[in-house]
This record gives sequence, C-alpha cells and structure tokens, in this order.
Amino acid sequence: MGQSPRDTLARMLLMRRFEEMVITLARAHKLGRQHLAIGNEATGAAALMQLAPGDLIYTTHRNHGHMIARGVDPGKALAEILGRAGGLCGGKGGTWHMTDPSLGFQSTSAMVGGSIGLSVGGGFALKHKKTGNVAVALFGDGALDEGIAYEALNIASLYALPVLFLCENNSKEGEAQTSRLATKELVAVPKALKIPCTRVDGGDPEAVALAVETALAHVRLGAGPYFLEAQLVRWPGSHQIVHEFTTGVTDVAAAWDDAKASNEHAAWHRTDPILRTARTLIARGILTRDDVTALDNEAAVIIAKARAFAEASPYPKPEAALTGAFVPA
Amino acid sequence: MPQKSFAVAMIDALAHSLKTDPNVVVIGAHSFLSDRGLKPEDERALWDAFPDRLIDPPTSEGVCTSLVTGAAMAGMRPFLNYGTATFAYEAFNQIMSEAANVHSMSGGQLRAPLTLHMYAGIRGGGAGQHSSSPQAMYANAAGLELVLPACPADAQGLLRSAIKSDNPTVVITHTRLLSMTGDVPDGDHTVPFGKARIAREGRDVTIVATSLMVREAEKAAETLAKDGIEAEVVDPRTIVPLDVETICASVRKTGRLVTVDEGNALCSIGSEISAQVAEHAFDALKAPIVRVARPPVPIAFSPPLEAHVTPNADKIVAAARKAAQPR
Ligand SMILES: Cc1ncc(C[n+]2csc(CCOP(=O)(O)OP(=O)(O)O)c2C)c(N)n1
Ligand SMILES: [Mg+2]
Repeated sequence: MGQSPRDTLARMLLMRRFEEMVITLARAHKLGRQHLAIGNEATGAAALMQLAPGDLIYTTHRNHGHMIARGVDPGKALAEILGRAGGLCGGKGGTWHMTDPSLGFQSTSAMVGGSIGLSVGGGFALKHKKTGNVAVALFGDGALDEGIAYEALNIASLYALPVLFLCENNSKEGEAQTSRLATKELVAVPKALKIPCTRVDGGDPEAVALAVETALAHVRLGAGPYFLEAQLVRWPGSHQIVHEFTTGVTDVAAAWDDAKASNEHAAWHRTDPILRTARTLIARGILTRDDVTALDNEAAVIIAKARAFAEASPYPKPEAALTGAFVPA
Repeated sequence: MPQKSFAVAMIDALAHSLKTDPNVVVIGAHSFLSDRGLKPEDERALWDAFPDRLIDPPTSEGVCTSLVTGAAMAGMRPFLNYGTATFAYEAFNQIMSEAANVHSMSGGQLRAPLTLHMYAGIRGGGAGQHSSSPQAMYANAAGLELVLPACPADAQGLLRSAIKSDNPTVVITHTRLLSMTGDVPDGDHTVPFGKARIAREGRDVTIVATSLMVREAEKAAETLAKDGIEAEVVDPRTIVPLDVETICASVRKTGRLVTVDEGNALCSIGSEISAQVAEHAFDALKAPIVRVARPPVPIAFSPPLEAHVTPNADKIVAAARKAAQPR
C-alpha cells in the first residue's frame, strides 16, 4: 500500500472540509443542486490515492470527493462549482462535470451509467497501447439499473480489458434506495459474467486500500477486469436538493469526546468514516488526538484558501458560451 | 374557472385518465407527482387510489420504453415519465426505431397508444447534460406525435388528448413552466391536437413560439406594444401535427414572421415553421423571417454563459423589431 494511514486520513479530512465548504458556498451564492460525497471519504481516498500516473478515471454526478481524493486543486474545483473562469473547466462543466485530465480524469458524466460505459473504452485504449495502466470506473449502485452496465461488464470480461469497476453502494432499502435490483447481491451481476468481485466495508480506509491493491494488481497483470463493491456509510443528506449541514459541521473531537458525540447526530457520529478512522488510529497509537486535530486544521486552512481563490475568480466572459463546442481547426 | 399550476394541471389530466380508463398506467410516477405543488392529502389519495398503476421503476429508461411500447401494443395505454429529457436518450432506439414504427411497419395492423413525458429546457445550472430542448429530434422521427404545452389549461387538455391518442406521443414540459399558474376549465378538459392557439392578437408581426417561449413572446409583445408594434403570438401547441393553416393566416395578416424556439437553431422547430411559411405564404412576407433560438453549442454551467445563449423576451423584441422594419 502506497499511502500511510496518516496521509489517508488527511485526504479524507480535506474531502470532508471541501464538501462542507460547498454547503457554505451553495447557501452564500444560491447555487443549485450538487451531490455531495460526505460519508464516501474512506473509499474515495483509499482508492484514488493508489492510482498511478497514466491511469484513467471515469466518475459521476457525485464526483467532488473523487477530485479531491486524487489531488485536484481544491481552489480550482470550488471555482468550477461557482461557475468561475478559474475553475477546472473554465466554468463550463460545473459541479456535475468537473474534470482534470492531468490527473487522469477522462469523464465526469451525470448520466447514470455513463462512467461505467466510457471506462470500457478507456480500458480498450490502454490495452491497445500496452501501457500497463488501468481504467477506473466509479459509479453508484444505481448504474447497475441501466442496461449499459450489463453490456459494459460483459464486453470488459470478454475482451479481458484492464478496468477496475468500483461501485460505491450507498443504497438503503426502503428509505433511500438508489437501485432496484432483483438480486439482493449486487456483485452477482459481474460474477455471472466471470469478473472477480470483492465486497468491502467502504467506511474503512484500510480495508478499501487493501481490496483496491489486490484488484489493481489483478488488472495491471492483464488478467482482465475486477469489480469492487464498497458498501458505503450513507450520509443522511446524500439526496437533498437544497443543502443543509444535515449532520452538523464535523467536529473531529467527537472521535474521543463523548459529550460532543452524543448530540442529535449521535447515530451518524458512530458511523461517520472520518470519526471512525480517527478513533481507530488513536486506539492503535498511530496518531494522537493532537495529530488528528492538527491534520484537520491543515485541511481547514487549505480549504479556506481554496474558497478565497474561488470567490476571487471572475465569471467567464458571456461570449465564451459560443466557443468551444469543437476543437479549433 | 379554477386556477392551478401547470404541474397540478398535468397531474389532474393523469388522474382523469386513470379514473376513466383501467388500462392507463403511470411509469415514473414519483417525479411527476411528488413535490409538484399538490396538497399532501391529494397526493396521498392518488397513490392510495391506484397502488398498482402508479409505478416507480429502476433507473432503466431503455427497457421502460420497451415495456410501455410492448404493453401499449398488447392493449394498455401507458404513460412514461422520464424526468429530465436527456434521460430519454438512454432509450433512443426504443423511441425512434420501435415505438415510432409500430403502426406503419405492421401495415396498420398494430398500434402503440403510449405517452412519453419529459422535462426539458435550459433550467439554470443544468450544464451540458441537463439543459436539452430535444423537440426537433422527436418531430423528425416520423411516427411520433409531439406536444409542447405552454400554459396550465393546455398542459391539462393536451396531456389528456395525448393519453387518449392511439399513437405514440411525446409530451415535453419546460421545467420552468411547472410553477406557472393559470385558469383551467372545470372537469375533464381536453384540447385537440393540430389546433394552434392565438395567445395574443396583433397586426404588425407574427411571433410563433412554443413551450416556455410563448410566455417570453407574450412579454416581448407587451414591450413592442409600447413602441406601437402590435405582435401576434401564435402557439402551435402541437408540432406533429402542425397547424400550418393558422400560422400562415397570421403571416398573411402581418406580413412578418419571427419564430422562437429554445432548441438549437440548426434544424429546429423554428426552421420547420420558417420553411412552411416560405412554402405556403411566401407572397405574404414583407421582410425576411427572423429566428430566435439557442445557438448550436452545448449549454455551459456558468450563469453568465448560460444566460448568453438562452432565448428570452429581450432577444424576441430585437428580432421582432428587425422583422418589422419598413422596407
Ligand atoms: C440516465 C439517467 N437517469 C436518471 C438520472 C437521475 N438520477 C440522478 S442521480 C440518480 C441516482 C443515482 O444513484 P446512484 O448511481 O446509486 O448514485 P448515488 O446518487 O446514490 O451516489 C438518478 C436516478 C440520471 N442522472 N441519469
Ligand atoms: Mg447510490
């Protein structure tokens, strides 16, 4: 495993503070809908921090966390969410379509199933070019509802394409179901198509890192695709239209201070991957409370600077709307 | 006449259809009924009244379209709501190749009485994938009726006709129309296909607008009236079938034509109306036709970029002034 538990937690904190800043900015600037990755930090950080230069990434409407996990400049990301000229896509993409090809991001599609389909094309190209790289499809459980998922998994298996299918499953039966599969076992679908599958606790960064490491080794070896299902801790605000601090602003001290953890958000505090990870690392003596606080403060400083950059960035000139549909001749 | 919102008017049309025809089913009911301004008790009553006929499917637009087409051919009268119009692209084959061809390919032996509904248009922050106005594509299918309601009364009346129609019918609702309120005739109101509505009478310039653009054209007409230009606003209401007669009659009266369409200018509804008028009322034109539409570029996320390409009342006023210039 490349990254230390400390680095992973630092990245998770950066992802959390980024999304909390998005809530703040959404209110201040009256932004429309975003899909936040609160609760998805352990999976995103542990998986994306392991990728190598040249690996290709395909993501979804819920992409903010993936961007930050992979090391995208948070200032440019916030600027994009605000529609500013200094944003990752110059304001053309916005929250749903942020991308940074310099870090391997190929597509951010808000069409459910979009990433899973395109990743197969990336895998096809990588295999053709014999680079030893992998294509990584990030998608929610909802993507498995779409016919393209079956087609993509089948052809990836048939052609032994170097694709890591990483499904972030946040569905909760009844209350917040984002997929409706006739099988309760999501991995039954790739399994039927002879793709090796693993299910992992998506709230545990070590478990995810290990599973991703195994999967990547398989794919890089040329043995064909691999399917990972990360069973996420579901953040209750995941499908809000108007953002709220549903579970409060994260206070890392809730990891060790029972008084802080036992408010109306107590249930969340028990499962929040950030607090869980902090608790585990402290219990194991890998980090102290002060270390965790310091990491969190560092994250907050980076995000405050990112906000300043984003808000200072101007809007693009209106005429820019008319250019850019085609590659210039 | 009761006042209601566009969204509630459509729900009322659906409720009348469900009550009068046991073969009507609604697939994709949730995003059509919930949070659309219905009183909570009225919404609950609907779900309670039709537990087996209001259905929320998996995110499977492709097969849902096949499902409603197959069910329609086998004797049902389904209504499918896709949500955002781009989601229907997942079902392009099923719509364009399957549903549109059923009747013709069977030599008239089969029919597919189904309604496909979607929310379209530039809605604010929708960026490239949630801002489409795909009406012209469906008009181009051959075999699909295409309905673009522009006010609550038509929303109810046209949707009712769509469900009663024996043909596959695409109904496109501009997202920004949903909260619009207006008078709707009592009871089970229907509006026939192929009959344009004169939204405002005028003698100087004809503005043919569809969907949300009718409202923008009406606003533009008010501004123009202050300058002494009396615009006639014509809302075709259905594009397939198209009421060429009413459009041409208006142009014969005014001698000038502006078309307004939120779709891409290239091969747009405005293009078709311009061509029809050029073919059938060329002699009446006193000035070149002016089209207002979105430029053929993907819609950008950033608010000033989006605003720059969105047709609106100001752009219609400028176009009408140009069309109305004395020669
Ligand atoms: C083709 C398509 N159909 C429907 C939608 C509407 N939609 C947006 S998010 C969403 C739920 C997606 O669930 P999942 O893939 O599990 O992602 P999650 O939001 O749960 O992370 C749906 C159905 C869409 N964006 N694209
Ligand atoms: Mg999900």
